[in-house]
Amino acid sequence: MNNQIDQKLTMSQRKIKMEKFINFCGEKFLLCITALSLITLLFIFFFIIKDALPFFQDQGFKEFFTSTHWYPSAAEPEYGAVSIFYGTFMVTLGSAVFAVPLGITAAVCLSDVLPFKLRQFVKPIIELLAAIPSVAYGFFALVILAPLMQNHGGLLLSSMIWLIMVPTAGIILYVGYFSLPDKILHKKPLALSLGLVGIAIAFFIIKAIADKLYGIQIDSGTNTLNVSLILGIMALPTIVSVAEDAVQACGRELREGSYALGATRAETMVKTIIPAASGGIMAAIILGVMRAVGETMVVWMASGNTGRIPEPWYNVLSPVRTMTASIAGDMGEAARNTNRYHVLFALALTLLVLTFVINLISQYVVNRQRKKLGK
Amino acid sequence: MLDHSFTGMGFISVGLMGVVLLVILLPIVYRGAQAYIFTETIEHRRFQNEKFQRGDAQELAEEYRAVKAARLPVYEAIEKFEAKKREWPKDKKREFRSELKAVKKALHHLLGPAPGEKTPVLMRQQFGQTRWDRAQVKLHEVLYREDWVEDPTGQTKELVQVFVPRVDLFKGTELEPMFEYTEKNVELMLRPKLTFYWQFLIDRSYDAHFFGGIGPEVRGTLLLTLGAIVFAIPFGIIAAIYLCEYAKPSKTVHVLRSCINTLAGVPSIVFGLFGLAFFLNTLKLTESKSVLAGSMTLSLMILPTIIRASEEAIMAVPFAYKEASMGLGAGKWRTICKVILPAALPGILTGIVLSMGRAAGETAPIIFTAAVSVGDKLPLTEAFFAPSQALPWNIYNLCSEHEAVDSIRHVQYGMVFTLIAMVLLLNMLAIVFRARLHSKTKGV
Repeated sequence: MNNQIDQKLTMSQRKIKMEKFINFCGEKFLLCITALSLITLLFIFFFIIKDALPFFQDQGFKEFFTSTHWYPSAAEPEYGAVSIFYGTFMVTLGSAVFAVPLGITAAVCLSDVLPFKLRQFVKPIIELLAAIPSVAYGFFALVILAPLMQNHGGLLLSSMIWLIMVPTAGIILYVGYFSLPDKILHKKPLALSLGLVGIAIAFFIIKAIADKLYGIQIDSGTNTLNVSLILGIMALPTIVSVAEDAVQACGRELREGSYALGATRAETMVKTIIPAASGGIMAAIILGVMRAVGETMVVWMASGNTGRIPEPWYNVLSPVRTMTASIAGDMGEAARNTNRYHVLFALALTLLVLTFVINLISQYVVNRQRKKLGK
Repeated sequence: MLDHSFTGMGFISVGLMGVVLLVILLPIVYRGAQAYIFTETIEHRRFQNEKFQRGDAQELAEEYRAVKAARLPVYEAIEKFEAKKREWPKDKKREFRSELKAVKKALHHLLGPAPGEKTPVLMRQQFGQTRWDRAQVKLHEVLYREDWVEDPTGQTKELVQVFVPRVDLFKGTELEPMFEYTEKNVELMLRPKLTFYWQFLIDRSYDAHFFGGIGPEVRGTLLLTLGAIVFAIPFGIIAAIYLCEYAKPSKTVHVLRSCINTLAGVPSIVFGLFGLAFFLNTLKLTESKSVLAGSMTLSLMILPTIIRASEEAIMAVPFAYKEASMGLGAGKWRTICKVILPAALPGILTGIVLSMGRAAGETAPIIFTAAVSVGDKLPLTEAFFAPSQALPWNIYNLCSEHEAVDSIRHVQYGMVFTLIAMVLLLNMLAIVFRARLHSKTKGV
């Protein structure tokens, strides 16, 4: 009797082997499918390199990476891509200038400062900003923002300055007022008059800057400033959400420890949380910037597509041309297997390598951060 | 004190983001809605009747007769003027020739071809203005001549735009009363009526989007999105299952993970080039661009998003579920299929829906692999193997490569509005799924 049950419950050796084999095969099959992303990545590199190589074989590296003359369709074509690299650089830097301060502030404040209720409202805003398709941003830049800049450029610039500077000045004055020495602060009239003087000075500084900007006439609405602004907005959601995750990942213990030592909330944030989350914040910036580097539609539509370095080099009001826009714009005109066709793949390869390296850096930074916090 | 300033900075940054969102969305929604709800004119009704057989033909014919009667005095005035002109000396004739031509052209834009004129080839010339807001612009062109003169105030050296009333140009001639008549009776001549043109979403377009709707574009976008999602779902979910349930921390898995991350960071335009070089030039899936190639390219692009979202959803399934299932004697595979996947479904769906939104809005990968500006409507089976219009591409095309960008602004806004509405709808859906997910896991 006992023997019978035993026989029913245990499988034969063969069956167990079979089962194991099937499980093993299944697992390997799953692994193969998972490896699809690896294969895709390899294929992407392979095919882009395959079509980029003929260009480098034919023309060499020197002209592509050192010359600023980009005339691929001329009778005697020139393939100097430096001005195009520069355009990408300018646009990316510009977007970072807009997005990074705003994004990091928003992320830190969202996770630590603002009441929880407000976060419920802000999350959808960030998600909406992330969800809007890039072509819609491009449309906004080209059809709404560009004419506005062209016709009322000075007004737009100066009102932007007012919008940004007034709250900033308000905060600076507020902090400055209360960090006055107690001796002065106790004498109400003196302190108040000092405050008023501060307000007046701030007002006149802002007004001077705004008036100067007001006089600017923008020749072309499709320029670096326009594109940077829009790309900055597009990079915001990435920066905010990644940085917020990083700040939150710091954990309660760190904060409580800091409070226990008598630090105020601001001190905790500046001296404890932000340094602890610096890796994650760095990664957020990198990822946001990467979005701006790889973005196509906005720059294609609204950057003006002029393949030369602006005069002077820091002039953000002149049109530029970027790598992505060059690929998108010229591909339709390039016949297959000509140099003009292959040079676009060379641009794509540069772009791919660039983003690949940036990505590796960000992964490295995130991993280091994780290890640091895990410790 | 710093505390307060941080609070202030927080509010400012959040407020700025809100303002930015409003500034971008409001004009697009406001003007985009006008592609659907607008004041149509008799010309629009005529067009709808002629091309789509909408509306009561008899009623329309009657209305059109009345409209023609209202327009008659305009053309009579021109005829009279022309008759008079013949008696004029040559130099006076010449003086008025181009002016008259301009008036006639403007009238043609406003009201369509004059009676007796032979039917023009271009469809945009066969009808007058179909929208009342455009008609106002064209009426202004009839009434005023646009001139560029030197700044009378002498402040700048650039030319300034001024409008010269055409009445003054034709003072004392037979044509003079025509302008006042047109201005006063333009409503009788065009019969504006508020309408809800929902068919904008499904109608095909005529004459480079001067007439009709955006049906083929919407259809193309849906096909591309659907194709992308169909290709990406199985691979994405299986990869997520493997990474969560099977993979042990090893070098291979580490490499795979960083590959997925890298793939997520590859610029979309590079995906487009890859699609062109691989699917079209090497595999030769189809002879030219096609929805198939486009959706495969898109699916590669959204694969990392789906993998990550599914992975997160699977991870979020409480461990107790798994233990309970295993404890009841279910095998690993059965546990995954019957317990983990159903429990993770809302999370996975959230990821799928979000990546659908991304696939629908992405332009760069389909430029070289799928999108064309004009195409024929094909049955579903063939549509996958042929190139197609798509909303994102046509938005670009209409607002930067179209020959008459300004006169079809409403179509452009309508397209952008539709695209954003589609994507946002998908996002709402994702939010609903997420809410369900929360309520589901809360019970544990």
